[in-house]
Amino acid sequence: MQHFKADLTNCDIEPIHIPGKIQSHGFLVAVNAAFNINYVSENIVEWLSVSAQSLLNQPITQLEKLLPHDGASDFLTQLLQFGRHNQGLESINPYKINIKGNDYNLIIGKSESNFLLEFEPVATASEVDIQKTIGRAVSEMLGGKQLQELLDNAAAQVKTLIGYDRVMIYKFLEDGHGEVIAEVANPDLDPFLGLHYPATDIPKQARELYKVNLVRIITDVNTEPSPILTFRDENAVPLDLTGSVLRAVSPIHIQYLKNMGVASSFSISLIYRNELWGLIACHNYTPRFINFNAREASRVIGQVVSSALEYKQDEENSVKTREFKAVIESLSFQLRNGSNIKEALAGFDTNLLKVTNAIGAVLVFENEITQLGQTPDKDQLQQLVSWLLKNMKDQVYHTSNLSAVYTPAKAYIDVGSGMLACSLSKELGELLIWFKPEKLTTVKWAGNPDKAVISGDDGLLDLSPRKSFDVWLQTVRNTSERWSREEIGHVLKLREEVMFAINRQANQVRILNEKLQQAYEELDTFSFTVSHDLRTPLSTIKNYSELLLEFNTSLDDEARRLVTKVIGAADKLNMLIKEVLNYSRVGRADISYELINMHNLLHDLKNELTVALQPQNLQLTIGDTPDIHGDTVMVMQIFTNLLNNAIKYSSRSNPSIVKISGVENTHDIVYAISDNGVGIDVNYYSRIFDLFRRMDNVREYDGTGVGLAIVKRIVEKHNGRIWLESEIGVGTIFYVSFKKQM
Amino acid sequence: MSAPDILYIEDNADFVDVVERAINQIDKDTVLKTIDDGVVALREINNLIENKVKPRLILIDMNLPGLSGLDILRHIKESKTMRYIPTIIFSTSDNPKDVRSSFDYGANAFVTKPLGYINLVKCLSSMHEFWLKTACVN
Repeated sequence: MQHFKADLTNCDIEPIHIPGKIQSHGFLVAVNAAFNINYVSENIVEWLSVSAQSLLNQPITQLEKLLPHDGASDFLTQLLQFGRHNQGLESINPYKINIKGNDYNLIIGKSESNFLLEFEPVATASEVDIQKTIGRAVSEMLGGKQLQELLDNAAAQVKTLIGYDRVMIYKFLEDGHGEVIAEVANPDLDPFLGLHYPATDIPKQARELYKVNLVRIITDVNTEPSPILTFRDENAVPLDLTGSVLRAVSPIHIQYLKNMGVASSFSISLIYRNELWGLIACHNYTPRFINFNAREASRVIGQVVSSALEYKQDEENSVKTREFKAVIESLSFQLRNGSNIKEALAGFDTNLLKVTNAIGAVLVFENEITQLGQTPDKDQLQQLVSWLLKNMKDQVYHTSNLSAVYTPAKAYIDVGSGMLACSLSKELGELLIWFKPEKLTTVKWAGNPDKAVISGDDGLLDLSPRKSFDVWLQTVRNTSERWSREEIGHVLKLREEVMFAINRQANQVRILNEKLQQAYEELDTFSFTVSHDLRTPLSTIKNYSELLLEFNTSLDDEARRLVTKVIGAADKLNMLIKEVLNYSRVGRADISYELINMHNLLHDLKNELTVALQPQNLQLTIGDTPDIHGDTVMVMQIFTNLLNNAIKYSSRSNPSIVKISGVENTHDIVYAISDNGVGIDVNYYSRIFDLFRRMDNVREYDGTGVGLAIVKRIVEKHNGRIWLESEIGVGTIFYVSFKKQM
Repeated sequence: MSAPDILYIEDNADFVDVVERAINQIDKDTVLKTIDDGVVALREINNLIENKVKPRLILIDMNLPGLSGLDILRHIKESKTMRYIPTIIFSTSDNPKDVRSSFDYGANAFVTKPLGYINLVKCLSSMHEFWLKTACVN
């Protein structure tokens, strides 16, 4: 048989369910599917005067012969066949048998394809009438209104039932360590109530076994366990003792109990929602065996407590849950009715913060951080968010000790010892975060938890796991109240609602886009109609007016002056149509970015404008001309309009001074176009870019009120900015900024 | 049967009148024929070609009732016999989209109608100068 040597470094992986030994207060025989004996505990000789070896590989009838009985000679075979066909070992157990004048309980169990036959005494230390006790125990336990009362009652009832010196209810906390939350002990004992035990005291695989075997007795830590023998075969597998009632105990655990002074230990598992919620742990300081029936009764009590737990715990949770639910319902309502997610989550009295017991909440959405309640500051949040985005694997991450995993959080222990984050979109870096403050708690450990493993004198890890169980106080810092399953549940529920709202808004945006597309198409048709239908009659007006002037000699001077006015108005109307069309085209045109040679563009423009406008007294200077990235045609429109304006509105100054030059900064290039013209009233700065808006002081100057609107549209299409400085009667400077590197 | 120098397809009577005056002012000997309907125009051109004559220049307005200017252009440029006649779209539009589709269909030029009689005379003069006096046409 293989041997797995346990020491403290491998405590967590010690295969305790296949120890190859049983406790020595009973004996074990295992038979295979053909009912041949393939495992026998060595100590069988103490009861049946036969060596274990001699029984190996014998049919079960050999064992039957050795057991005195009243019924059929093949009673074991019958029992096993009954168990196999009806899968009902529970109805057989225990089968009473008398060996040498003493009564024994035969308990039949399964281990893979083998049947385990375990014999243990009927004689028990517990002498109460189980039938009576159970009924009373259950009704007394359930009498308690609060969870704590239920647990106190349960401990008392178990103590009555099995008579152990100490009965504790031990609850596993979030991080795996345990706390004694209820206790009934003999008056001469120091109470353990309120003590905490480190997670290493009950290793993970032991906790798994507690979920399978709901009761477990360690009869006497001071007896030697008996080995289980099987064939002399290198490949023989150790018998799986998961389902065994006699299974021997890990030597480490035995030592642990010895160190506590415990002789017998009995435990009952408490299960809440399929997880090991805790244990009813019973200690006796002298050996105390309780028989199968008493253990079964204890198991029933454990199951009653477990189901009561579900009920009571759920009930206690549900009061809070109802409050949270109301909050989520309000938020959902706000999300479904409001158009804006930020407003819905953070804009009302019932907000994000109230979904949990947090003191601060943060919404990171659409590149904006919204803080509610007490939170770290914006810079700290930004850093935390980038850390979270990098490290969060699931939708939700929570911790009650943020600074342990994320050191910068030490700076805001007071508001953010605990954090719960829920991602909305990893790609967009959108999150919801909640914070809980530090909660200074004092934990009473049973012994120093850091010394759960002690180095021995020889420098090796000592096999005795914990020697000291003196109360050891620890103040827990940097830690908040933990995040409950309910809080996390509410956060996930809220996330669903938010995601739904986001998707719905995305749909709305899509519909808006479609409408916009349609509107653009209509505008296209409109533009065409305007250009054709308005220009055609306009053309006729101008044509005939000019023909009148050209060929009709009978017109006098007054008539000629009137016809000239008609022609001027026609020209102006034509210009207006052209500009409006330009404006609408800029809105839809795609930008084709290229590097524009600004020196050439501005000098060409200067020549063109000088020819077209024939300005008097104009001093136009072109300074530095850093090149910019943009759409050549559109950029040309910007400078044409701005220079045209500068020349036009300074035409009555003498000399009229217009300057244009560019400056290259780190991120952008800014062009300034200045004139010494009429100037713009500060109150109109923002409005001059509106379509058809013209200032009062420029009535005598020709213009359509479209030029600057086009300029602004183009600048915005280039992700640039335009602003101005101006003083009435002194002049105006327009600044246009273009981003570098598109 | 003789062909006009310029065949002008246009439905706006005012504009026809003005263009006739302008051509007359530019060159009294240039024969301008105006047709206000695309189908009639296409039939007329075919008729001329059967008689071994053809106009030296065709001007087409874009926005016509029935067969549009672009449709007429397409018929001309897809016809083996008519395709070599210089054909110009003469429209009030200056929409780049219109200009592009005209060239796609094979227009020899796209000219936006100028505003005003004086500008019109200048514009038609240069067209007359180029297409009727300078360019080689087979």
